[in-house]
Amino acid sequence: MPKYLCLQRALPGGDREGDHPSPTQMQAMYAKFTEWRQKFQDNLTDLGGRLGRGTLVTERVLDGPLVEVKELVGGYMIISAASLDEAIEIARGCPGLVRPGSGVEVIEIHAP
Amino acid sequence: VTTLPLNEPFFRREYGRLVATLSRRAGMQNLEVVEDAVQSALLAGVASWTRGGLPDNPSAWLFRVAYNHVIGELRRRGRADRLTGRYGGDASDAIEEAPTAALAGDVRDDILRMLFVCCDESIPVESQLVMALTTLCGFGVREVAERLFISEANAYKRLGRARGRLRTLPFEPDDMSPQQLAARLPAVRSILYVMFTEGYLSSHVDGPIRRELCEEAQRLARVLAEHPVSATPETFALVALMHLHGARMPARQDGAGGLLLLEEQDRSRWDHGEIQLGLSWLARSADGGVFSRYHAEAGIAAEHCLAASFAETRWDRIVECYELLERLSPSPIHRLNRAIAVAEWQGPARGLGVLDGLEPPSWFAGSYLWAAVLADLHRRCGHLELARRYRDTAIAAAPGPAVKDALQRRLRDI
Repeated sequence: MPKYLCLQRALPGGDREGDHPSPTQMQAMYAKFTEWRQKFQDNLTDLGGRLGRGTLVTERVLDGPLVEVKELVGGYMIISAASLDEAIEIARGCPGLVRPGSGVEVIEIHAP
Repeated sequence: VTTLPLNEPFFRREYGRLVATLSRRAGMQNLEVVEDAVQSALLAGVASWTRGGLPDNPSAWLFRVAYNHVIGELRRRGRADRLTGRYGGDASDAIEEAPTAALAGDVRDDILRMLFVCCDESIPVESQLVMALTTLCGFGVREVAERLFISEANAYKRLGRARGRLRTLPFEPDDMSPQQLAARLPAVRSILYVMFTEGYLSSHVDGPIRRELCEEAQRLARVLAEHPVSATPETFALVALMHLHGARMPARQDGAGGLLLLEEQDRSRWDHGEIQLGLSWLARSADGGVFSRYHAEAGIAAEHCLAASFAETRWDRIVECYELLERLSPSPIHRLNRAIAVAEWQGPARGLGVLDGLEPPSWFAGSYLWAAVLADLHRRCGHLELARRYRDTAIAAAPGPAVKDALQRRLRDI
């Protein structure tokens, strides 16, 4: 099955409400994510994670400032799906990923 | 990878536990740092556990993350404060003296201490309640507002008042003295009583939401009853009344969420385990020669629980308990309830007689409760004109559709 890279992208107009969920809302997030994960367990190749600090390594030393990838991409994961459409459906169903202030970029990986 | 379900209300419980434990170590003036740290730790838990599975001990995991967060933030602030010369000590030193291992043993002490701290006499009771529901029960401000039927802005205001006051407390890592605890105990009981009745008497349409408040109050009251500083007959009576009322909650609503009157309830749906528990706490509360308002209320609830049917209720005993209750805690509500009991015992005219000469305060005279009881007593005495007038007032003042329906059912044939 083809693999797809999913990048969580911060969008303008962030959802402040969602930044401070109450414990009850977190309980619901945990339950929804667990359910989503079980539903698509065969498709979730690498659940990835949030991105931390990074360094750009090139042939020569680059003077900053460089735009950090982190500012554009919050996290990544890799999923397997029969088609781009199916990959989009799986990513769309991931709780908390697609909401005001956050979207997901689904990119096909061309394996050799 | 394990993805065990974390049963409700895991996150709320952890919130209350961690805030209580960490604020004891870091001091109440750092409550906001502690609350932020706990919030971050819970969020980190959600992010990490949903991907990597649950750790062996999720509670210990959360404690460690929140603890490190507090230390880091206090260090950062300590430096900043020293730079500006405003601050002498370093609170992170104090918190680090306590080893991370001390997790389970004194958690209930921490929760109890936090409860006593929330009940500072300089904080208005309605602020104490909001404070307890957020910091100890882990409800969000919006959830608190929804449960207490107040606006979110009002809930923030009340919480702000409590926090503002607590921030000014001197940094005392030691406990309050036994004298201070004893002096505050009535306020602590009172806040738990209010929390319980907010759930029990609420006309909120959502049953589970109301039960949640009752369960939180019951849980905290049990912590109170099991601790040497607060295990007194009044506390036992409070726990008893919560069980005896709670036992009857399942029968108070019909299948469609409508409210059922006591005489309409199916008594087989009462929770008999809860009744037994309530009765045993009531028996414990009789030791010590103290008779409080909680004893009177638990006594009334016990009479209802023990009656095989509405008709077989020992109304004379209930009347007696209401008389004691009125003496201990005078309120027109207690007088009104006594009138209802007297009407069942000796007839509606005697019931009305109890209310003779009572000038209800305006908040009560305009309430559905007052109007509904008068409508019913006048109806049964044959004073139909008066009964109709009170009925219309009662229905107009009913706080929600469930109450309105129950009133219409009871008072329609006038």
